[in-house]
Amino acid sequence: MESNSTTKHPSRRIRCANFFAIAAVWLLATTSLVRAASFTASLDRDTISLGETATLSLTFEDGQPRNLPALDVAGLQFSQTGNQTGFNLVNGAMSSTVTITFSVAPTRTGEFQIPALTADVNGRQLSSQPLKLTVTQPGAATAAQINSGNEIAFAKLILPKKEIYDSETIIADLQLFYRQGTQLARQPQLAGMPADGFTVGKIAGENQTLTQVGNAVFNVIPAKIALTANRTGAVKVGPVTINLSLLLPSNNRQSDQFFDPFGMFSHREQKDLAIATETLAAKSLPLPAENVPANFNGAIGDFSMTVNAGPTNVTVGDPITVHVQISGRGNFDAVKLPDQSGWNDFKLFSPTQKTDFSDQLGLEGTKTFEQIVTPQNADVRALPAFSFSFFNPDDGKYHTLTQPAVPLVVKAAGASPMPTLAATQNSAPENQTPTDILPIKNELGTLAKNSAPLISQPVFLTAQTLPILAFLAAFVWRKRADNLANNPRLRRRIAVEKLVQTGITDLKKFAAENNSEDFFATLFRLLQEQLGEKLDCPATAITENVVEENSLLRGVSENLRNDLREQFQLCNQARYAPIRGTAELNSVAAQFEKTVGELQNLKA
Amino acid sequence: MKKIFTFLFALIFAGNIFAADFSSDFSAANELYAKGKFSDAANLYEKILSSGESSANLLFNYGNAEFKSGNLGKAIAAFRRAELLSPRDSEISANLNFVRNQVQGTTVSENVWRNWLAQLTLNEWAILAAIAFWVTFILLAAKQIRPALAPKLRGVTFIFISLTILFGAATGLQAAEHFSKQSAVIISNDAIAKSGPFDDAQNAFPVHDGAELSVLDCHDNWIQVTDGAGKIGWLQLKQVEILPGA
Repeated sequence: MESNSTTKHPSRRIRCANFFAIAAVWLLATTSLVRAASFTASLDRDTISLGETATLSLTFEDGQPRNLPALDVAGLQFSQTGNQTGFNLVNGAMSSTVTITFSVAPTRTGEFQIPALTADVNGRQLSSQPLKLTVTQPGAATAAQINSGNEIAFAKLILPKKEIYDSETIIADLQLFYRQGTQLARQPQLAGMPADGFTVGKIAGENQTLTQVGNAVFNVIPAKIALTANRTGAVKVGPVTINLSLLLPSNNRQSDQFFDPFGMFSHREQKDLAIATETLAAKSLPLPAENVPANFNGAIGDFSMTVNAGPTNVTVGDPITVHVQISGRGNFDAVKLPDQSGWNDFKLFSPTQKTDFSDQLGLEGTKTFEQIVTPQNADVRALPAFSFSFFNPDDGKYHTLTQPAVPLVVKAAGASPMPTLAATQNSAPENQTPTDILPIKNELGTLAKNSAPLISQPVFLTAQTLPILAFLAAFVWRKRADNLANNPRLRRRIAVEKLVQTGITDLKKFAAENNSEDFFATLFRLLQEQLGEKLDCPATAITENVVEENSLLRGVSENLRNDLREQFQLCNQARYAPIRGTAELNSVAAQFEKTVGELQNLKA
Repeated sequence: MKKIFTFLFALIFAGNIFAADFSSDFSAANELYAKGKFSDAANLYEKILSSGESSANLLFNYGNAEFKSGNLGKAIAAFRRAELLSPRDSEISANLNFVRNQVQGTTVSENVWRNWLAQLTLNEWAILAAIAFWVTFILLAAKQIRPALAPKLRGVTFIFISLTILFGAATGLQAAEHFSKQSAVIISNDAIAKSGPFDDAQNAFPVHDGAELSVLDCHDNWIQVTDGAGKIGWLQLKQVEILPGA
């Protein structure tokens, strides 16, 4: 049974009448100054069903509210749906009305009290009277109400039979009727489907039809619901409740004549309804206890079975895949692969399963099991016959489907190439297969950290460069020695350089000792050696004259030649006047060191 | 100064203290094994191994305990790890072969040269190659320093160059096995290799506890393996224990 809940549907005239609204507000403002304002609150009805909505109207006469009162009632949800302004001119007296509407949606059943509301109107605090709203559970329409044709919408739930078996799945028909000429504002919502003793499965919608009930024609939205009995005894389902929003032709055309005098625009009102079906009862019977097949494991329905297996030519231990397809109609959740007796010669792996449904309710289709088995010995000749049992609720009997045995050719494992590591064992008599593992060891042994192999450790890799470096050093040394042995001038140059270095040290020592004789003797010899090496002639052949005669020395700077001359002359003079001071000898040694440096840098 | 000596003393002997702890655990595990409490013994051996320390004897005993507990795969994995540390231990080889004989189905095979290489560990091959390499270059350096010795050193130098090449090649092959050819030991019962690395993939072939397979690829928590018969499939990592190739 439906209940009334009407709200004004927005229409285009509101948008078209802005001008009139502005004028109305002006009039309201002017008239409110001269008349006493009032504030009232009202509900369009005081009893609704859960799922429906009521309309709360707050009406302000001859005044404009400055603020809206707060609406807060536990169990009720308020949402503003409209704001209308009107004015009347009666016998020259003008009055105005402001009406603000709210949709009131309950969230539970019970009696609710909307308290007195207070609003500030033209500077005065005005209060409304308290309101009472009763919310009830929606109820099913009676046959008389339906046949009267006065109902806008109703619903029916139909069970195919009143006696079912435990775990049997049946299909219930749910039909939603709504009057022709009305329109669905939105898709119907299934609000509740209590079921005691049933498990509600999938729901499948069907195509909408038209039917006549009594004197009225109704649109029918049918749906099918899968229900599975989950216990024995009395079971029931319902009431199924549906929330429905319909657009009804508007009965209020008085104001429309003003805004739409020619009826050019459609006028509909939205109505929210809560529809409920009857509660249906049935009896769930236990499965027969007689003639129960040994391998029955709970499948209920009507099924067929196909079995195939492959490969059929295998070696002991090789996998054979057994495909079992069970097709038909019934409760596929309860269809399981039965334990097979007589499969002792096979190792069974956990089966996999997949179900393909051919209907929307999941009652028809094919369930495929894939079972891998491996023969354990070469005596196996066939895959044993496979059987599957189910209970058919249509005839109330158990049925067993059996597929014949599948012939197999099973070869011994030794007949195929032995790939195991054990094949490399020594089969000598003294090494025949032991009967048990060797016992544990008493010593822990040397513990070591689980480290990376040496070849991936940088220290080890770096250490391998040391012998290469040693070899390279020896090689370079060897090459240098060979070069020296094959070059006399280089050898003499190196020898003279060493001689000059030690000679300069001796000169400084002789200078410090004021040993003029040895000083100048050493100086003369060093000059001879250095010039002899540079001019590539015997040291004994070098005299002061070489400075003037040798072409190489003639090309050097005059300063160097003067230094050489001076040092030769000093040496000659020292033979006749050997005694000189330490400071003078040190000065000569420094000058010699400078001269030798220039000579060594001289290009031959 | 006294504190420094105390610290150094503690640092030097810390290793021995830990070894003593492990030794007591090891003895306790041996006692559990002797009483037939193989699973408890295996847990205690595993506790020592979880510290990061291991020895061939410890892994040997752990393998024995796992075998007696009915875990062929874990036993084989332990014996193989023990064999990596002590490849010439005949007792480890004997127990490994014994457990392998209990495994059903196919498994990867090892060829002759791989068995020959496995006579030495990767580190032993590396050390041999390094010694030959050092001696070779020392001889070459000696010939540079003392050319007169060259005729006398020619023969021995040739020998060491040959040994360097031989040991270096062996090290390289062993390293390639170690780093690139991992193997997987099945440690779960009734594992089924899948045709792809996801649960819904088709079944490829069954593998048994203790089967040894070659690892081809890895993807998330799945590894691609091949058995001795050339079949290829994917297994979850939790079903296997991964071992280095050498």
